[in-house]
Amino acid sequence: MKRPVFFAFALAATCALIPTAVVGPSLAATTKGPAAGKTVKVGVIADVTGSAAVYGVQQKDAYELANDDLKSGLLDAGGANLSFDVEDAASDGNQVANLFQKFTTDGTALILGPTLSGEARKGDPIAVAAKTAVVGTSTTADGITSLGPCVFRVSLSEAQVVPATVAHTKAVWKYKTAAIIYGDDNAFTKTDGDIFKTQLEKAGVSIVDTETFHVGDKDFAASLTKIKAAKPDVIVLGALAEEAEKIIQQASTLGIKTHMMGGNGLNSTKIYDYAGPAAAGVVVGAAWSINGNYTGNKSFVERFKKRYGVEPDQFGAQAYAAAQLVAQLVKEGKATKDEMCPALRELRVAQTVLGPIAFDPGRDVNAAPVILQIEKGGFAYFH
Amino acid sequence: MVGQQLVNGLFLGAVYALFAIGYTLVFGVLDILNLAHAAIFMLAAFATWSLLGAGLPFWLAAPIAIAGAGVLGIVLDRIAFAPLRRRAAPNLIPLISSIGMAIIFGAIARGIYGPDERQFALAFLQTPPLHAGPLTFTIVQLVILGSAIAFMLGLAWVMRATALGRAIRAVAEDRVAAALLGIDLERTIGATFFIASALGGLAGILTALQYNSVQIDMGGQIELKGLAVIVLGGMGSITGAVIGGFVIGMVETLAVAFGLSEWRDAISYGVMFLILIVRPTGLFGKRSLRTA
Amino acid sequence: MNVLADFYAAHSKLIDQVGIDALLALSLSISLQAGQLALAQAAFMGVAAYISAVLALNAHWTLLPAMLVATLCSTIVAGLLALPVRRLRGIFLAIATIAFGEIVRIVANNLAISGGAEGLSGIPPDATTPWIYGTLVIVSTGLWFFSRTKFALAIALVREDESAARGVGVDVGLVRFTTLAIGGAIAGLAGALYAHSNFFITPADFGFGRMEQILVWCVIGGITSPLGAAIGAALLTILPEAIRALADYRDFVNGIILLVVVLFAPRGLAGIRLGKRR
Repeated sequence: MKRPVFFAFALAATCALIPTAVVGPSLAATTKGPAAGKTVKVGVIADVTGSAAVYGVQQKDAYELANDDLKSGLLDAGGANLSFDVEDAASDGNQVANLFQKFTTDGTALILGPTLSGEARKGDPIAVAAKTAVVGTSTTADGITSLGPCVFRVSLSEAQVVPATVAHTKAVWKYKTAAIIYGDDNAFTKTDGDIFKTQLEKAGVSIVDTETFHVGDKDFAASLTKIKAAKPDVIVLGALAEEAEKIIQQASTLGIKTHMMGGNGLNSTKIYDYAGPAAAGVVVGAAWSINGNYTGNKSFVERFKKRYGVEPDQFGAQAYAAAQLVAQLVKEGKATKDEMCPALRELRVAQTVLGPIAFDPGRDVNAAPVILQIEKGGFAYFH
Repeated sequence: MVGQQLVNGLFLGAVYALFAIGYTLVFGVLDILNLAHAAIFMLAAFATWSLLGAGLPFWLAAPIAIAGAGVLGIVLDRIAFAPLRRRAAPNLIPLISSIGMAIIFGAIARGIYGPDERQFALAFLQTPPLHAGPLTFTIVQLVILGSAIAFMLGLAWVMRATALGRAIRAVAEDRVAAALLGIDLERTIGATFFIASALGGLAGILTALQYNSVQIDMGGQIELKGLAVIVLGGMGSITGAVIGGFVIGMVETLAVAFGLSEWRDAISYGVMFLILIVRPTGLFGKRSLRTA
Repeated sequence: MNVLADFYAAHSKLIDQVGIDALLALSLSISLQAGQLALAQAAFMGVAAYISAVLALNAHWTLLPAMLVATLCSTIVAGLLALPVRRLRGIFLAIATIAFGEIVRIVANNLAISGGAEGLSGIPPDATTPWIYGTLVIVSTGLWFFSRTKFALAIALVREDESAARGVGVDVGLVRFTTLAIGGAIAGLAGALYAHSNFFITPADFGFGRMEQILVWCVIGGITSPLGAAIGAALLTILPEAIRALADYRDFVNGIILLVVVLFAPRGLAGIRLGKRR
């Protein structure tokens, strides 16, 4: 009895001692988990084309990188045949529904996505009815996880991040008045604006001006002129990167020197690329930092950049984190649709590029937001 | 603040005006609403970006892209509209045809450039803003305003003082009579598309400069706003397109200034709707109501 | 039989979408048959979708009453629209109705009761396939009988030559009003069914993009043929799923198909003659 055990132990110890860096990534330790040899299909629904393509392409890129990493062993799925099947929903509600139906009837074990909260509201109920688990990586509106007992998400919602953003900035900047400019025809930016408003008022800040814009707008001069006249102590942006960068730059052109802050949507290096020094100092309440030191983050950023020529943004990072999470589950032996949901619920922690994550009882991600400040070359932590 | 808002409206209007000129020209001559105009607007901006990336200086890249846009307009006509003219199809069909071409142009752009926004790495875009008293504006904005006025004047001159201009006006007035008078219809129409698309391309390049942003969706919003402009100005009237552009730009800016920012677009469309009900020929349109 | 059941289980959403899109195409087809380029179907659809969703969510109405009330509302809206645009023709009518559609969308975006940009979520999925296709069958049958009446002849005459129609005593205003109202009703039915089969609606669902789609279906299928319109809708709704393997090239293929049909089959797939050019 003892000898085989000792022998096995010695063998394992010896293998563990072989430095994987020396041998090369292709021989990195892929352990043999309980699901070894099984095929696990994970369906990804992303808007690779259409109006949300800017986010969907990042997600697709992240999953394709994950597929590569699985083959090369950088991601360990315990010897199972795991792959991410990315399908394009073209930012079209009908296609989202069709893809959900496809993935719930073709033996897919788990669905990742969709890209937008509105699409989740259309498609998640289909997965719920079919008892297939869904993990959102970019859906941040209210009421998504309550769509069903197997709907999870790894993306920190604005409701989770904004209170921290307000608390931190108020402590340092000590503002008493604020102006909010937000997009009123996009569920994310509208929610963002609303939550900031509520949180600021709760903190005793008075809102001296509120302006709205539409997705795709490029000219914010009229709104910014009004904001400037209202002389707020801080300006809040409920916007996504494409609009935020222009707001910031045009504000600077108009001579506005007020502190600025915003939510997840501003977590992109494109903003400094576009607005330059005008963007320095803008505070972003985010779920991920490109400079973060979490599990494999730096290497992820490097490999992403090398393969695609652009840096990953938060959408890409959250998608990759989901891939890491799934790989961990599969490594533990989860391979079928019925095993995924309980596994997610019982998850203690997964180490990802977002940091350590787990799910709270409401199936939202349990992770700490990072309050960042834009600077040349990336982001710094806000003090 | 009011002064700055008026200035803001002026510059916004200039962009709308430039776009609308090409739109209204094609409609005036051919009774076609060319929904691929916005796609050419976008492609010209991307072409300029690519040429700049290849090392050409801006003063060379922009005119090449503008001429290219003009040529693309002729190509558009040859593929999507000319065959339908020969067949005397009702005006609904060219509209659909232009939608098809717009989709194709968009798909090509997306295939080459992807959905991300690009910027121009041009030095003159980084110059600090100018001030005139309490008013602030940039050099680019002045250039756009200047271009809109210059091109309107230039086009007006072409239309009035050149043979081509007279031919275009004749074809717009009555195609059959113009043919009877010996005017080469296809050549005139081709020239019309060249001018209209070149102007659309110019509008695209200037818009891209104005906001330092080139993106495959950039034509979407302006396409519908352009409709409001040409309806207000009078469909077929170039002067109307320019004045209409400035009016709509001003209306939108003032809507924001008066706290109605979420209704801003609804106001523009409302104006459009009212004009069509009350005075369909718009401010300057001379043509009477034409049936489909 | 098992094969059919499996097919349905894997494609029921698509099948439902085809049914609703066919209804939308029919609603536009009626106006086009009268030569009216009235492009407000997406707005009528939206009005009905929102009203039936609000009734279901806030007052717990079941599908049938909600659908009927919503359709009544969209019909009224269509009738109200017919009034100010009665003198507009051709592209002018098209633009006015597009403007109307955009205004409706923006109103839905700004009102609290419609949920604004966040839309209305959690709509009970009552509109199952039998409901959708049942409605489609009833509407189609109704239209078929309608096409056999004298009024339908009047409609065709108005399309072919409006002054001649007036000359023989046709009340052109009534014809235009009726076709717009019927179109509004059918689009309303489609809108309510859409809301009750999609769980969630948002103003962007009913904007210019949707209107363009419906117009394209009608043109591809054949402008003056309701059957053609319905077929056009079915084919183009299935197309993105059928060519999914083409991945990023789908858009391109979409545009090419549109162009090819327009250039080489201008009468649309149903091959019925279009009205004379004026």
